[in-house]
Amino acid sequence: MSGQTYDWTSIAKNPKYLELKQKKRVFLFSWWIGSTFYYFLLSILSAYAPSLFKIKMIGVVNFGYLFILSQFVMCFVVALVYTKVANNQFDRLTDELVKSLQKEGSI
Amino acid sequence: MIVRFFFVSLFMVLCYTNTLGAEPVKPVVAGTPNAAVQATSVIAPLAQPVAATVAKPLEIQKTAAPAPNKVKPNRGITIGMFGVIIGITLCVVVWAAKKTTTAADFYAAGGGITGLQNGWAIAGDYMSAASFLGMSGLISLYGIDGFMYAVGPAFSFIAILLLIAEPCRNAGKFTLGDILSFRTSAKPVRAVAAVSTVTVSLFYLIAQMVGAGKLMQVLLDIPYKVSVIGVGILMVGYVVFGGMKATTWVQIIKAGLLMSGTVLLAFLVMVKAGFNPVTLFSDVVKSPQIQDHIRINLLKDAIPKEGFDYGQRFLEPGLFLKNPLDQISLGVAWALGAAGLPHILMRFFTVPSAKEARKSIVIALFINSSFFFLINLIGFGAALYLTPQLISSVDKGGNMATLLLAQLLGGGAGSLGGDIFLAFICAVAFATILAVVSGLVLAASAAIAHDVYVNIIMDGKADQHTQVKVAKITSLVVGVSAIVMGLMAEKENVVAFVALAFAVAASGNFPVLILSLFWRRFNTAGVLSGLLVGTITTLGLVMVSPVMTYPQQIANDAKKIITALETKQSGGAVLDAKELKILEKAQADFNKNDGGTSMMGLKAPLFPLKNPGLVSAPIGFIAAILGALLFREKRAEDMFDEIEVRQITGIEITRASDH
Repeated sequence: MSGQTYDWTSIAKNPKYLELKQKKRVFLFSWWIGSTFYYFLLSILSAYAPSLFKIKMIGVVNFGYLFILSQFVMCFVVALVYTKVANNQFDRLTDELVKSLQKEGSI
Repeated sequence: MIVRFFFVSLFMVLCYTNTLGAEPVKPVVAGTPNAAVQATSVIAPLAQPVAATVAKPLEIQKTAAPAPNKVKPNRGITIGMFGVIIGITLCVVVWAAKKTTTAADFYAAGGGITGLQNGWAIAGDYMSAASFLGMSGLISLYGIDGFMYAVGPAFSFIAILLLIAEPCRNAGKFTLGDILSFRTSAKPVRAVAAVSTVTVSLFYLIAQMVGAGKLMQVLLDIPYKVSVIGVGILMVGYVVFGGMKATTWVQIIKAGLLMSGTVLLAFLVMVKAGFNPVTLFSDVVKSPQIQDHIRINLLKDAIPKEGFDYGQRFLEPGLFLKNPLDQISLGVAWALGAAGLPHILMRFFTVPSAKEARKSIVIALFINSSFFFLINLIGFGAALYLTPQLISSVDKGGNMATLLLAQLLGGGAGSLGGDIFLAFICAVAFATILAVVSGLVLAASAAIAHDVYVNIIMDGKADQHTQVKVAKITSLVVGVSAIVMGLMAEKENVVAFVALAFAVAASGNFPVLILSLFWRRFNTAGVLSGLLVGTITTLGLVMVSPVMTYPQQIANDAKKIITALETKQSGGAVLDAKELKILEKAQADFNKNDGGTSMMGLKAPLFPLKNPGLVSAPIGFIAAILGALLFREKRAEDMFDEIEVRQITGIEITRASDH
C-alpha cells in the first residue's frame, strides 16, 4: 500500500503502543473465547444434557428457553462492554500515543 | 487464468448437476437462507438423524394431505407495494449514480457512510428472507429447536465485532485481497483471494436467486424465470449505476422495512397474548392442535403415551436438531463464517474511521440480535394462532408461516386489513432479497475488478475513470452470470450452496484473515495454503456430505413405504384413496431413483455432517500455519509492525484510503 514514510518498527516499540496492544489483545481474545465457549455450551448441553433443558423455571417456560434467551443477552452485553472499554480506554490510549508521536515528530 | 478456470469449472459443475440432479425436496424459500443450511430443507428430511434416511414422504403426506392450501396475496395491493419499493430504490440509484465517479465511490461510497447508516446497512446485508420466513416457520413446526437455531446468526456478529471490524477498517481498502496482500507477494495472494471471494459470493448469490425466484413465484403467481430475471435486472441496475452508495441505501431501506414488519408482527402477537409471554407459552403448551402435531407428526405415537405432556415437548429440544455434532459443526460455520464473508467485510470500508466501524457493527449486532429474538415470538405465535397443521399444509417446510400470520393478524384472509398486511410482509421479503443480492454482486465484482484487473493485470496503474468503468462492466457480467445460473439451478438443492458459502468463509477466509492481522510469521505461503486447502477441503466435504441429493436413498425410502403399504394390503386391509396415491407416488419415486447415484457417483454420503465446519475450519487453520512455517519470508515478518500498528491505532488510515 502506501507510505514507508513512517518508522513503523520504532512506533511498534513505543511503550505506550505496547501497552495499548497488550490491553487490546487480552481484552479482545479473552472476550471472544469466553463468548464462543458460552455459545457452544448451548449446542453441547442441549445435546448431552437434555434433562437440564426441561426443568420448568417460570410457569411452562423452561431452563432451555431461558438459556437460549441468555445467548441474546450475552451478545448485547459483549457489545456494550466492548463499546465502553473501547471508547474509554482504547481510544484514549490511541489518542495519547498519536499525540506523543506527533510531538516526537515520528508521524 | 485461475479465475477463468474457476468459472469454467463452476459452469461445468452446474451443467452437470442440472442433468443429473434428481431433486426430491423443493423448499419454497430454499436457499434464501442466510441461515438456513438446515432451516431451508426443513421439509422433513432433517427431522431425521443425518445418516439415516433422507425423506419420509408418508408422514409428510399425512400432514399435508387435506386440500393443499395456498397463500393468496391480493395481487393488486401486493404489486402496488412492490412498485413503491422499486420506485423508491430507483430514485436512490439515480441520486447515487451522480455521486459515483471514483473507484472509492463505487466500492466504498467514498468512505462517506456514517456508523449509524452502516450499522443498518450491515444488518440489511445479512438478514435474509430465509431468516424472516424460514426460521419462524421452523419454530412454528418444531418449537424451541427453531429458536435455538436463531442463536447462530445472532452470535455470528461477535467475532466481527471483536476481531474483524476495526482492524479491517484500519488496514484495508476495498476488498479481502487488500488486507491479505498487505505484506505478502501481492499478485498470487490477490488472485487466490479473488477466487475465494467469488466462490463464496457466487454460491451464496445463486442460492439467493433460486430462493427469490421460488418465493416470487408463489407470492405473485408469476413464472420462476420471470421472477429470477426481474430480481436480477433490479440487482444489476442498483449495483452498476449506483455502486456502493445505492447498495447501501437499498440495504438501509430494507433493514428498516424488515425491522418494522418484524416488530409489528411480534407486537400484534403480544397484544393477542395480553403482553404476557408466559401466557403465550402456556397457551402454546395447552393447544390441542400443537399437542396432536407433536404426537402424530413428529413423535409418531399413534396412541398417546400415558402421562406424557406432548405440549410441553414443544418447548424441549430435539424435535428438529437431532445430531449433536451437526449442530456443533454448524455452530463453527456461524461463529467463524460470518466474519469471513467478503460482502460483510466490504461494508467496513465504507466508513471513515475505526470508531465508526465499531459503532456500525455494534448497531448491526443490536438490530440483528433483536430481529432473531423477535422471530421466536412470531414463530410461537404462528404455531398457536395458525396451528402447525395449517402451516405445513401450505408449505411443508413452514416457510409461509410469517405470511399467513400477517394475513391473520391483519384481519384474516379476504379482509382488507389482512390483504394489506400480507402484501406489506411480501414487499418486505422482496426488499430483503434485493438488498442481499446487491451486496453480493458488489463484493464479487470488486474482487474481480479491483484485485484481478486493476492490481494484477494493470499493476495498480489504472486511472479512476477506467477503474469505475471496469467495475461497472464486471458487475454487469457477475449479475448476468448470477441470473443465468439462477435459471439453471431452479431444480438444484441450493441448500448445499449456502452450506458451502459459509463453510468456505469459515475455513478459508477467516483463518488467513485473522493470521494476517495478528501473527508476525504469517506470509504468502501461509495465505495461499490456508485459502486453497481450506476452500478445497470444504468443497470436497460438502460434495460428499448429506446435503447433496442421493437418489438411492430416496429409492430406499420409497421402498420402505411400498413395503409397509403392501404388507397392510396383503393383511386384508383396503387402502383408502389417500394411501393409494401415496403408494403410487412411492412407486414412481422408486423407479425413478433406484440405482441412481449423487453428483459424485455415490449411493450414500461419505461424510456424515451437513456442514463441514467442524473439520474444515481446523484444517484451514493448520494449513495456513504450516504453510507459513515451512516457507519463512523475511519481508512479511518485517512488515508485520506496519500492519499491526495500523490495525491497532488507525494511523495513516486516511492516506491509505486516498491511495
